[in-house]
Amino acid sequence: MSKLGCSSRLMVILGIVLLALLLTSFVMGPLGSKFFNISVPQELQVSKPHVVLPSEPMFHIGEFKVTNTLISSWVTIILLFLLFLFATRKMKMIPGRLQSFAEVVVDGIYNTIEGVSGPKYVRTFFPIVTTIFLYVVTNALLALVPLWGTWGPVEHIGEGAHSATVVVPFLRAANTDVNLTLSIALVSFVFIEYLGFSKIGPLKYVDSFFQFSALGKAFVDLFKGNGKSFVSGLAFGFINIYVGLLEILSHFIRIVSFTFRLFGNMTAGEILLGVMTFLVAFIAPVPFYGLETLVGFLQAMIFAGLTLVFGVMAVTSHHEEGAEHN
Amino acid sequence: MENIGINWQLTVAFLINFLVLFGLLTAILYKPVLKMLDERAAKIKESLEQAEKIKEQTSRSEEQIKAAVEAARKEGQVIITQASQIADKIKEEAKEGARKEADVIINKAKDEIKLERDKSIAELRSEFSNLTILAAEKIINESLDAQKHRKLINEVLDQSNTFKQN
Repeated sequence: MSKLGCSSRLMVILGIVLLALLLTSFVMGPLGSKFFNISVPQELQVSKPHVVLPSEPMFHIGEFKVTNTLISSWVTIILLFLLFLFATRKMKMIPGRLQSFAEVVVDGIYNTIEGVSGPKYVRTFFPIVTTIFLYVVTNALLALVPLWGTWGPVEHIGEGAHSATVVVPFLRAANTDVNLTLSIALVSFVFIEYLGFSKIGPLKYVDSFFQFSALGKAFVDLFKGNGKSFVSGLAFGFINIYVGLLEILSHFIRIVSFTFRLFGNMTAGEILLGVMTFLVAFIAPVPFYGLETLVGFLQAMIFAGLTLVFGVMAVTSHHEEGAEHN
Repeated sequence: MENIGINWQLTVAFLINFLVLFGLLTAILYKPVLKMLDERAAKIKESLEQAEKIKEQTSRSEEQIKAAVEAARKEGQVIITQASQIADKIKEEAKEGARKEADVIINKAKDEIKLERDKSIAELRSEFSNLTILAAEKIINESLDAQKHRKLINEVLDQSNTFKQN
């Protein structure tokens, strides 16, 4: 322990202090005060988490309401911009620390993408997938910084027994705004469909849903006088068209699932942290902060990774896929 | 939908936010870093290739040096052999030349000696004949016909082995 700059005695004292803090906050918290029947002055109580799903407007620009999540996402963008601006301002063959960091980030994501998409399409996927990852992960991690969700004017809502004091934060976790997750989901959707149309051709891409070519083959069989294979070909052709319609629907459902996966996970995380802080103000929420860090990374990886995988599926048409498997 | 706060204006605002972030990150992160990574990869590849080439070159030049040394050694051997052969020849020639010269000198000396002897003998002979004539003149007091006497003496001398001219 001497490596950390404090003796084992100091560690013990620190441990006792932390334990005392934990116990006090438990006893003074809503659970303990009910159990031991103590009344705690309201100034010392942590307010009950007040779940507001829509982001709160902070100020107006004309008709447009600037919400706290929007401000938060600006902070994310400025932070990422400044970080990588300084990292890559003077690129050198032998990199410094910041440049190394930027290179590790880029190289790591690049290699991961290459592993999924193969070397042909890495540079097609790389910018958008990396941007999604960095944006989502930075939003998620910034949300854990103390200022987020706590700094803002206090409002009293409700009457009598249901009255509560609520903080309307200036900065709110950007990922907890459904508009943000929807916007990235739309980008992802447009990107995937654009890739499908542009990389394998519009006709081939549409055909990859409906398999019209199989239906056409059935009619060729009819002209050849092969009635039996025409009937089965026709049946399969219509089944394929039905499957194609379902698949198109599933592409649109991706927007919804992208949107609500991220939104739901991040909002749940915020609520979880709020509830834990409400129940036991100190120490106990710490593991949950760790959990939320992990969840933030994971959700960013899932969002970026699914975009990548759907994109790869779009650029390798179903025929090719079938050919590979056979 | 109102309850969870879906609002198209806000959605558009977030959409714009995302696109702005996308543009910014493309400009300041993806492009420069990917370019740098590509450059570095290219440079590393180039360096490795160069190292390989240098290694190859080194081994090749080492072989060349070895071969050159070997060739030089062989050539040296040949030169040495040749030189010793030439030296032998020169020695032989010199010996031969010296012998020949010596023979010439000896012959010449022999000839000279012979010539000298003949000359001495001729001188002695004429001296002796003169003396003899003189003595005879004195003895007989009479001038003899010198010519006749000389002939006589030569006949005598020729008969004697001692003063024979060869």
